[in-house]
Amino acid sequence: MSTTTTGAGVVASVAPVTRRVRAYFAPVNRSTGVPTLFDAAQLGRFELHAPPAPWIDLGWASRFVRKCGTKVDALRAGSPAMTVGQVRTEVEATVSLEFEIWGKLQVALASGSQQTNLLTTAAGTTPNGSGGLATAPVPLLTGTGPASTATSLNVGATAAAGFSIGSLVAVDVDYTGQLGYIGASVSSAYVLSASAVGGDVNYVRRVTLNVGVVAAISAGVLQLASALPAGAPTTGMQVSHMIGFCDREGASFFQEWSALFVMPGEQGDRVLVHYPRLQAMQGSTEVEDALAAPLQRVRLAGAFRALPVKDTNDGETVLCFRSYLPAVLRGI
Amino acid sequence: MQNAKDTFYVTLQSRLAALNPARTIVVRGVVRPGTLVEENELPSAWVPVNAFRLQWTGLHVNSGGPLPMVSMECSIQYATDGTSGNGGMDRGRLLAAMDAELVSALSAEPHTVPKMNYSAAGDGVAPAAMGTNVFWADPVFGAATAAEDRLARTTTVQVYAYQEAGEL
Repeated sequence: MSTTTTGAGVVASVAPVTRRVRAYFAPVNRSTGVPTLFDAAQLGRFELHAPPAPWIDLGWASRFVRKCGTKVDALRAGSPAMTVGQVRTEVEATVSLEFEIWGKLQVALASGSQQTNLLTTAAGTTPNGSGGLATAPVPLLTGTGPASTATSLNVGATAAAGFSIGSLVAVDVDYTGQLGYIGASVSSAYVLSASAVGGDVNYVRRVTLNVGVVAAISAGVLQLASALPAGAPTTGMQVSHMIGFCDREGASFFQEWSALFVMPGEQGDRVLVHYPRLQAMQGSTEVEDALAAPLQRVRLAGAFRALPVKDTNDGETVLCFRSYLPAVLRGI
Repeated sequence: MQNAKDTFYVTLQSRLAALNPARTIVVRGVVRPGTLVEENELPSAWVPVNAFRLQWTGLHVNSGGPLPMVSMECSIQYATDGTSGNGGMDRGRLLAAMDAELVSALSAEPHTVPKMNYSAAGDGVAPAAMGTNVFWADPVFGAATAAEDRLARTTTVQVYAYQEAGEL
């Protein structure tokens, strides 16, 4: 392969120069273990601000570090022993990064475990670390007024009066005894038994990643600032008011997600690193960037271990895919 | 290297002019957007205010790759006396406005533009697009300096480009 000018209009290839890494999230179907696969051949040139569905933009990340833990040992034979080949004895890959923003998804992924929504509590509720007994949810109206969508929730004028612009809402189904993975669109917790969660009707909304911010209220409809990750609400979903998020050290759940990291090159080239299955490998951690004393900027730090998938092109079991898209008219 | 310098200047000038079309400067009797490159103008002790003056102050070439990578330091100087109608008491605000315009222009995406060759460009002749891009780092803002009624600041930005085959 030539690295010099190879013809009229073709410029020599150079090492990519990039200023930062952009991260994208897509769900893994935890029940079936099926991740969301990103096909760089089809979609590699997507607009960074508008990733293709179902990928969700997590924003820029800093201190992005990929580590290869794969061990390659020599295969020896003869006397004296001589290396006649090599064998991979362990295959492992990890990723660490710091998110630039504290969004719901970023906090959930970096927390390492299950993350709860701090639902507004009922009066006189017994205090609890991850939020006490929540107020009753608000149903979505059907047959009266416009249908709810991914960005608008028709709760009716009376219920809408209980919300204000800037309110945080969690939208999901009631807990009615479901076992296993729960959460609309993205598995956000694992329920071992109904008794473990106290039969709490709000439990799914307590852990769901299907959350939004009310940007406007009109005629009983809550307009959200951005689309709900799970899309238009389905039958049975209700709305709970929340004030923030909470995660815990030591819980049993492991967050797992399909990850895509894009390094846009300054010459129009692009490096894409795709981990179909990443599981959190550390608890919630923050990193402090010192500003002028006493100010510190607190960044979310996440560390993840890759889990394997099978490449259907050849049946190989792999952990990640690195793709490189050269700039136009570059030597390769 | 001249192509990279010209490309960065034209890019910055057009972005700043789009942000604030009212920021203009009269040079040799002609009203122009308020951004100029000092080495492209007649030598003069006159320091225009309320405009951005570019100086190319540093140069480093890394020849390690197949295309030499050129790093140039662009020093952007700007100053204001405030407005006479306000007795100059708005000079801090005007300097802050220039700071904000420069931040917006340099931080707006993309941070990379195709390198253009302006040597043959002119009336009816468009500049020729070259094969690589010019790109730049985040600006570094120097301290504001006050001299009598004048507030000034110098901001530097590293501009990068690849020296293409046959390019001078």
